[in-house]
Amino acid sequence: MKKKIFIGILIVLIAIIPVVWYVFTVTFDNTADVKPDFKVEASAMLGEFIQNEKAANAKYVEKVVEVTGSITAIEKADSTFNIKMEDDSTGSYLIFAFQPDQKDLLNKLKPMQEVVVRASCSGGIYSEILEAHSISFKRSIIVNQ
Amino acid sequence: MKKVILFVSVALISVFSYAQKKTTTSAVINFDATTPLDEYPKAENKTAVAMLNTKKGELSFEATIKNFSFTNPVIQDHFNGEKWMNSDKFPTAVFKGKINNASAVDFSKAGTYSAEISGDLSIKGIAKPVSTKADIVVGADGVISTTAMFNITLADYGIEGGAIKAGKVDDTPSISVSAKF
Repeated sequence: MKKKIFIGILIVLIAIIPVVWYVFTVTFDNTADVKPDFKVEASAMLGEFIQNEKAANAKYVEKVVEVTGSITAIEKADSTFNIKMEDDSTGSYLIFAFQPDQKDLLNKLKPMQEVVVRASCSGGIYSEILEAHSISFKRSIIVNQ
Repeated sequence: MKKVILFVSVALISVFSYAQKKTTTSAVINFDATTPLDEYPKAENKTAVAMLNTKKGELSFEATIKNFSFTNPVIQDHFNGEKWMNSDKFPTAVFKGKINNASAVDFSKAGTYSAEISGDLSIKGIAKPVSTKADIVVGADGVISTTAMFNITLADYGIEGGAIKAGKVDDTPSISVSAKF
């Protein structure tokens, strides 16, 4: 009887340990290896959020999006850079924080340059500070420049 | 003539006020709730909005919760979930505060200044007072860098759970904020 209980516990442990190990050690895939859910122009995406923020968040949040647009600013963020695509008339903007492996590519970018960025969309908010809409992205990569 | 003078005066005042209100959309916020039992509950948000009003000594920041980036997707899901940050309902964390010793900081002169900051940090719609020390560095190029670190008590914002009780998540995580204006 004791032997059966021991074997039962052993089987449960063998089944559980890999699951627990996976949960605590899994990391996000490199965005370069992820197929985008959407491909969109920066101005069109901003328009969707300005028109209906709730619907746009439901559509894009935590989705991988490939955005084409013109860089309006390259901003230092710690040891790396963010790039920004801003609508001059409203001050509303998209902002991209990048994967660490993109540092060399970011150093080559210049304002006004047209780029394609693939990133995980964190959604849009209306900034009380800036009084403008913003859409933020994480784990971004430069697809082409 | 009077109208022209009035118009020019208003325009100058507007420009001057704008110059005193400095903003960035790339402030960096680090969240660290790691413990000896778990090294994964930590994240970084590099797209926070920050504002510094050098005239009034006001400082504020605003962070999109979903843009806190974790290495572990399971922990990121928990962080955004209903029991934790409930980011679908409360998409931002906002700090609004002031520099208590603003007169001790000369924003027009290069140097390193020690500032005392106090204000309210709103998370999940709950505002709690926060006070901390901050370093303000005014560069020779006029760039103003600010860094501050403080701890919050998760229970103050209604954040509780098994992982905290089990000691896998620090119940008073540290928050560091850095911004360049």
